[in-house]
Amino acid sequence: MLAITWANLKMMVRNRQGLFWALAFPLLLVTVFGLFDFRGVGPTGLAVADFSGGFKAELLRERLEAVAFLEVEDLDGDDARAMADARRRLTDGDLGYLLLIPPGLDDPASETLAGAVSPVTLVYATRNPERNQLVEGAVHRLVIELRSDGRPVLPERMVTSEVIETPEVDYYDTVLLGLLGLGIMTNSIISIAVRISTYRNQSVLKRLLVTPLPVWKFFAGEIIAHLLLAMVQAAIILAAGVLVFGARINGNVGWALVVVLLGAVVFLNIGFILSAWARSPAAASGMGNAVALPMMFLGGAFFATDSLPWLLPYAALALPLTPMLDALREVAINDAALWDTWPQLAELGAWVVVTAGVAVRVFRFS
Amino acid sequence: MISGAMGYALRVDELVKRYGGVVAVDGLSFSVRRGEVFGLLGPNGAGKTTTLEVVVGLQRPDSGRVDVLGLDGAAHGREIKARIGVQLQASSYYEYLTLAEALGLLGSFYPRRLAAGELLRLAGLEGMGGRRVRQLSGGEQQRFALAASLVNDPELVILDEPTTGLDPLSRRDLWALVRQVRERGATVMVTTHYMEEAEENCDRLAIINHGRLVASGAPRELVNGIVSREGGAAYTVKLVMAGPLSEGQLEVLGRRAAAAPVVAGNNTYLLRLNNAAGSLQDLLDEAARCGTALEHLEITPVTLEDVFIELTRS
Repeated sequence: MLAITWANLKMMVRNRQGLFWALAFPLLLVTVFGLFDFRGVGPTGLAVADFSGGFKAELLRERLEAVAFLEVEDLDGDDARAMADARRRLTDGDLGYLLLIPPGLDDPASETLAGAVSPVTLVYATRNPERNQLVEGAVHRLVIELRSDGRPVLPERMVTSEVIETPEVDYYDTVLLGLLGLGIMTNSIISIAVRISTYRNQSVLKRLLVTPLPVWKFFAGEIIAHLLLAMVQAAIILAAGVLVFGARINGNVGWALVVVLLGAVVFLNIGFILSAWARSPAAASGMGNAVALPMMFLGGAFFATDSLPWLLPYAALALPLTPMLDALREVAINDAALWDTWPQLAELGAWVVVTAGVAVRVFRFS
Repeated sequence: MISGAMGYALRVDELVKRYGGVVAVDGLSFSVRRGEVFGLLGPNGAGKTTTLEVVVGLQRPDSGRVDVLGLDGAAHGREIKARIGVQLQASSYYEYLTLAEALGLLGSFYPRRLAAGELLRLAGLEGMGGRRVRQLSGGEQQRFALAASLVNDPELVILDEPTTGLDPLSRRDLWALVRQVRERGATVMVTTHYMEEAEENCDRLAIINHGRLVASGAPRELVNGIVSREGGAAYTVKLVMAGPLSEGQLEVLGRRAAAAPVVAGNNTYLLRLNNAAGSLQDLLDEAARCGTALEHLEITPVTLEDVFIELTRS
């Protein structure tokens, strides 16, 4: 098995054109995305929990809605679960800001120097410093304007910020992991499908069948060699993203590579399945693209899939790229431990079992 | 060791193989003795390749039995594969490996193996271990394929049309290699379309047609069999006429010969003659009365090709 794995690696390296494109395609995307400036301010959500129910709160809300990049939503401050959920969304990056308006906002007594009223509180995560600065400045200015009525005040009595410490993240960091998953998926599916169908066309598979080599060793040799290639690919993509384009990986790269391995096994199995149906290497390549391309968009490589129309978000959940990217982003961006992503890993594991079962059933040697 | 079960490298007994409704092999039986070069002959679609694929374990028979090196093919597939060498038709090798690497890789699948250098030397490919298969000529590729089938120093080597598509010199080289393999002590079973090669190089032959055995034995025995069956017919006369002969004219010509005439090409006819004196003259006189000039005449002893055509003509 060592011999066949080693031979497979040699063949991959000598197929220079194939190898080049296997590495160049994701690198090209890494570069294209790297050239865009994603560090600007994109639209983000701001949830308002109003405990005062007064007109000043209403006014503040209206003024905030006028800020172009803020999408304001209302929260019921008495609903403890909704509040806890909002804080969790802040930490995960699904919500940009949470604004807590205290009960005494409309009470003139509270506006004095001596008044002991709690300030308006802006809660945010440290995910995006540039945007935070902008939003914090805007909110503070608006609140002070509303509350001071031109009198001298101590700003910290009127408005304060609560900061949730999270690693800094921007869109490029997220998309880099999407590109990583995409590169591994495309290469694993297409490379296996094309190789096996080439072997079959050249009767290499038949030639192997007349030797005493157990069939599982043949598969193991292919899979191990491709997994090693996937590791090299992942390392190159991440290195290019981080070193050249300044992406940040806050979590454990080792965990990310474990997720890559598990995902690669699923996509290799899919490649084996496609190779059983393809009558020529060209057909195998076309089939591989046909499977990979929709998954690339539906799996959330470039954008969040909950913005997709109709039933497509549910379809996205049913694809193997989705849990792979979720797990990758959890461990790499949110610094989650590998075992914290067990639901995604379990889903990938199920995919491994199902695709392997189908591959064994449909695979043919001649 | 020629008699008894150990005397046979291969025994095929009442083999039947169907593909859907088509019967590819229909109750075929033959045996290959240890140490001989055995030829399996037959027209295209006769069932040669199917038979080989059952013998090497690529196909399961529908019924019948195959014993390879004294082992039941149905029960000892892996052990048989370890002890035989196989060269398949049109099977190529990993295009990104060198010859030496491909031999090394194939060898790694076997418990017992020969060194790549020794195999290349045997095949007359010394010093080419660093090349790729596609850099070889057609003849070199076939010799390499044969060398690859010897990687486990097999007791039985099975070759499927090893000389097809090669130039005459390369075919000679390949047969020389086959003889070398036999001299090393292996048994060789080979399929071919070239009757002359089979006659020269095979110790014994089986001719099959429509999945059945139609004749078997040493080439000379098969030829002599026809000779005696046709009352001592010993020669084939090839007539090339200036124009086509009619059915009637052919029939008249046939009456002067020992067997029905064979149309062998454009205005070309094969007739069998026996040893009776004067029959050649009778035949030529008859041909002269056909009204078409005789352009060319060849007289040859009966060959395996004649036997083959005779036996497999539908």
